[in-house]
Amino acid sequence: MEKNQYDLCIEVLRRLEKSGVLKDVILIGSWCVHFYKEYFKNERYSGAIKTRDVDLLFPALSTNRIRIDVPNLLRDLGFIVGFKGLEGYIQLEHPDLIIEFLVPEKGRGSNKPWPLPQFGVNAQALRFLDLLTQDTVKLKIDGIEVRLPHPANFALQKLIISQRRAIEEKRKKDKDSAIKILRALISKDEATTVRRVFDSLDPKWQKKVMTGLEEAKEGDVLKILR
Amino acid sequence: MGVIKGVLKEELENSLRMKNDYEKELAKLPKGSLIKKKIKGHEYYYLVLREGQKVKFVYKGKVSAEVIEKYKEAKEYRAKYRKLLSQVKKQIRFLRSALRGKESI
Repeated sequence: MEKNQYDLCIEVLRRLEKSGVLKDVILIGSWCVHFYKEYFKNERYSGAIKTRDVDLLFPALSTNRIRIDVPNLLRDLGFIVGFKGLEGYIQLEHPDLIIEFLVPEKGRGSNKPWPLPQFGVNAQALRFLDLLTQDTVKLKIDGIEVRLPHPANFALQKLIISQRRAIEEKRKKDKDSAIKILRALISKDEATTVRRVFDSLDPKWQKKVMTGLEEAKEGDVLKILR
Repeated sequence: MGVIKGVLKEELENSLRMKNDYEKELAKLPKGSLIKKKIKGHEYYYLVLREGQKVKFVYKGKVSAEVIEKYKEAKEYRAKYRKLLSQVKKQIRFLRSALRGKESI
């Protein structure tokens, strides 16, 4: 399944790129952790466990005027439209991949799906995703230009949300992947970037990051942030 | 170990939901296949359906290219979805057995 899954993910990205949707998208989630291998190719870095979820983040303001029916674009690959939760968030399902659509939550927030009519889907609005849109990197994955959050933003966001997780396993998974990325950034001489992103955070968020690192006894990273 | 178990549990929930969704998609597709018969130089279409053990031929006469295309597409998607549904069922069996241990899931 591993190779089929990778090939399918690449085909999805290729179609999104060709149709012009991909330039509006930031890839997050476990596939993002996996693709950071390209960013850290000269460092010791191994991605975390990769799930089937491909999380596509649509930053709030887009000048893209393209209208593409994404479910139809991927239908012949075997993807079907599924609805997640009682709220009815759309996801595209295939035994090897599940594509989810996300947007950063604004204001007080709401559980209601955020409509993305130009792409024929809706999205789930989640807190703290803004941090992932502030600084991004573009990586070439199998010849496709994919936009990912800067690893420093991604790792710190993971530490923040890990503190809000109710399920212990998810909390640990978030922390583990964040720490792997932070260690790789330090070894890539990007400690100052980590510090800069940390300094830009709300003090409450900074506290969550510090708590996460203290729980994990990450002395090296803590030294940079103190 | 906890992290892996958590991931497997989540994947099982996803696969169970996906199984339902593929079954619903299959049910939505038009039933049967169109076949063409040539009688005295004229082409006529029949819809072939299975009803229990029996195979039923329903006379459709001359049909539009659009209808032919609709049934052709349905046939392709039916085969594709059946294959993917069988893959999901295999995943469910695998995930259940991987999670089955002394603890109940």
